[in-house]
Amino acid sequence: MSIPALVLVGFLLFCLGIFGVLARRNFIVVLLSIELIFAGAGLNFVAFSNLWQNLTGQVFTVFLIAVAAGEAAVGLGLLIALYRVKHTANVDEARELKG
Amino acid sequence: MTVFMILLAAVIVACALGVVFARSPITAAVSLLVGFLGLAVLYLALRAEFVAAVQVLVYAGGIMVLYLFGIMLVDNQVLRLTRQVHFQAWPAFVLVLALFLWMGHRLYHSEYAASPGGRPAVAATADAEASPQPAPAADNTRRVAKVLYGDFLYPFEAASILLLVAVVGGVFLAKKEV
Repeated sequence: MSIPALVLVGFLLFCLGIFGVLARRNFIVVLLSIELIFAGAGLNFVAFSNLWQNLTGQVFTVFLIAVAAGEAAVGLGLLIALYRVKHTANVDEARELKG
Repeated sequence: MTVFMILLAAVIVACALGVVFARSPITAAVSLLVGFLGLAVLYLALRAEFVAAVQVLVYAGGIMVLYLFGIMLVDNQVLRLTRQVHFQAWPAFVLVLALFLWMGHRLYHSEYAASPGGRPAVAATADAEASPQPAPAADNTRRVAKVLYGDFLYPFEAASILLLVAVVGGVFLAKKEV
């Protein structure tokens, strides 16, 4: 399996993640889809690191995992705050700013 | 090895589809967990042993458990019975398909696809030009550490501050009375 094929798999993960963020209404699944976007980017970093025999891509993947951990912490905090106010995890219910 | 990696990629993509289209968030989370484990195996095959270990420890072990706790705190039956997708799902699908096709087009016409089949993914053959002898698995961690604590020391410290702020922020948001 060549590197371009792996990069294509990364693209696919990225696009599926974006679709999940745009289309799903459950906030938990939106967060999981964001993790999918991170995973696609990380796969591409590692694939290009392998292609060029350069470790910077792997270091960036480590940073990416740290950022994903921070995103998970803040996202779950938001989820619990939303649930406390609205008693739902449906993102369509949080529409106060819509006026 | 190629068959193995294609199989692995198929499993990962199937798990990603499971995340996006599963009805229950628990199913989505467990599907994502399996996908992350598959991704870790793919990283191992790509000779990124340290990243694979971090992927299993932090992602599969830490973040997914956090998500499962979040689901258990929040999930209810009513949520599963309502419609799962927005009215904007079809425009989003078209948009994402266009994005994917555009990125695939750019990849196809880039320099990486120019060589027949690109370079092989597994580094056992590519190592020959990079280093005289194939690097053992333990060497990857040492080399990653040299780059991480050398060139990327300040970003590393910034990442630690980011994590601290994110965790404090998460606790603050989830606290009873804000």
